[in-house]
Amino acid sequence: MMVHDDMHVLTGSYVLDALSDAEREDFERHLHHCPSCQAEVRGLRETAARLAMAKTAWPPAQMEERVLAATYRTRQVPPLARDRFRRDGRRSRVARLFTDRLAAERPRRDPSADPRHEHRQGNGRGNSWVRSPRLLTAFAAASVAIAVGLGITQVATQHQLDSVKASNAAITKVLDAPDARIETTHATVGGAVTVVASALQQEAVVTTKGMPSLSASRVYQVWVMSSSGARSVGLLSVPDQTGQLLASGVRAGDRIGITVEPAGGTSRPTTAPIVTVPVTA
Amino acid sequence: MKSMNRPEIRGRQPDPGPAEGEKQDLAFLLAQVARGDHQAFEVVYGQLAGPVYGVVRQVLRDPAQSEEVAQEVLLEVWRTASRFDSTRGSAAAWALTIAHRRAVDRVRSENAGSRREQKAAAEIVTECDDIADVVEASLEGQRVRRCMDGLTDLQRESIQLAYYGGYSYPEVAQLLGVALGTVKTRIRDGLIRMRDCMGVNS
Repeated sequence: MMVHDDMHVLTGSYVLDALSDAEREDFERHLHHCPSCQAEVRGLRETAARLAMAKTAWPPAQMEERVLAATYRTRQVPPLARDRFRRDGRRSRVARLFTDRLAAERPRRDPSADPRHEHRQGNGRGNSWVRSPRLLTAFAAASVAIAVGLGITQVATQHQLDSVKASNAAITKVLDAPDARIETTHATVGGAVTVVASALQQEAVVTTKGMPSLSASRVYQVWVMSSSGARSVGLLSVPDQTGQLLASGVRAGDRIGITVEPAGGTSRPTTAPIVTVPVTA
Repeated sequence: MKSMNRPEIRGRQPDPGPAEGEKQDLAFLLAQVARGDHQAFEVVYGQLAGPVYGVVRQVLRDPAQSEEVAQEVLLEVWRTASRFDSTRGSAAAWALTIAHRRAVDRVRSENAGSRREQKAAAEIVTECDDIADVVEASLEGQRVRRCMDGLTDLQRESIQLAYYGGYSYPEVAQLLGVALGTVKTRIRDGLIRMRDCMGVNS
């Protein structure tokens, strides 16, 4: 990792595409937190554009026809949220991806099953980050989507929804993280595990769906696995095996793993994981 | 869900747009392109194809390959028009950043070694410096040339090799026989001087 001064001098090489891929990534990370570099890059980029314009040369006429024809066969990408709405947009994008994946395999409805583990409920994280009405709306929508995804009936009372919101505050915070990454892996026994992780917040939301039911004497146990060993996150002992847990102290490079353990869980894994999902940064 | 066949929005005229009158603002056009407007893209193509193709050819040299890459770049402009953010810079800079980057990627993905080793630095600098096209006579070309003349030799050669030659700064350092740190500094200082000389407002 280079020190700040070394980084700043790279603005020129960066806009001229003269950095190696690794250096460019380092620099872009730095750029993210360096407003003065951003301003300089902007100006130098405009300057480089003039260098390009000075070389204007007209391409063969048939190129236009080919490009225009190709546009009719090419799907356009949707917009990203603008900078000032980045948190909002980022969250809703990840949340959308997240709920999409949950919806891909519809869980059975079982209102008596509360797959959410309650150790996070009312932990004081609160909703303080929710400041704008826009965010609130997005938040409420995501909460309902999550609630539906988790198999909670849509006719849930306001009270139930409120409680979902409260317990999902921590989860939503992970979804909202600017660096949230989503990863889905299929389990060897069937079903799938989706992990939304934020290296910044060192937290990951682990969601399972469609995993086969176990006998009463067995449970699914979720672990954070790192080079120093496995740490239990909690149990998924719900009837429809659609569950969600928040794992804390998660770092990039860790893996989220699930094993089948005796009822009540164990202090360390006693069987081979049925699935592991890498936590990417 | 957005579908492949978006509803045609051309009938819904947005606000009059840029006040500059005749010459349509690229940023404004890109916003229309982002909504799937093929007509707006034709205008965008008209404004960008020359600079895009020009800079790509400057880096790649081979006309057929340049055409292929320029085509990819212009299609990328269509595809990612929604990602253009006018608060972060001009539309031309956005598109030309994509173009230069693609050209450099192409150079680096190929075994460009032969081209690099066979030639002497002086020869490459001359090659990078040859503004062979009509635009030499254009205002922009003239201004760039004039501002380039205001740089030190090392600044000018570093910028030309990096931007027009598509060389990485370690390659530039090697070609010019100077330290890595020197090249990084000269590129930055030179570009800043160019920026100020050309009156670019960031």
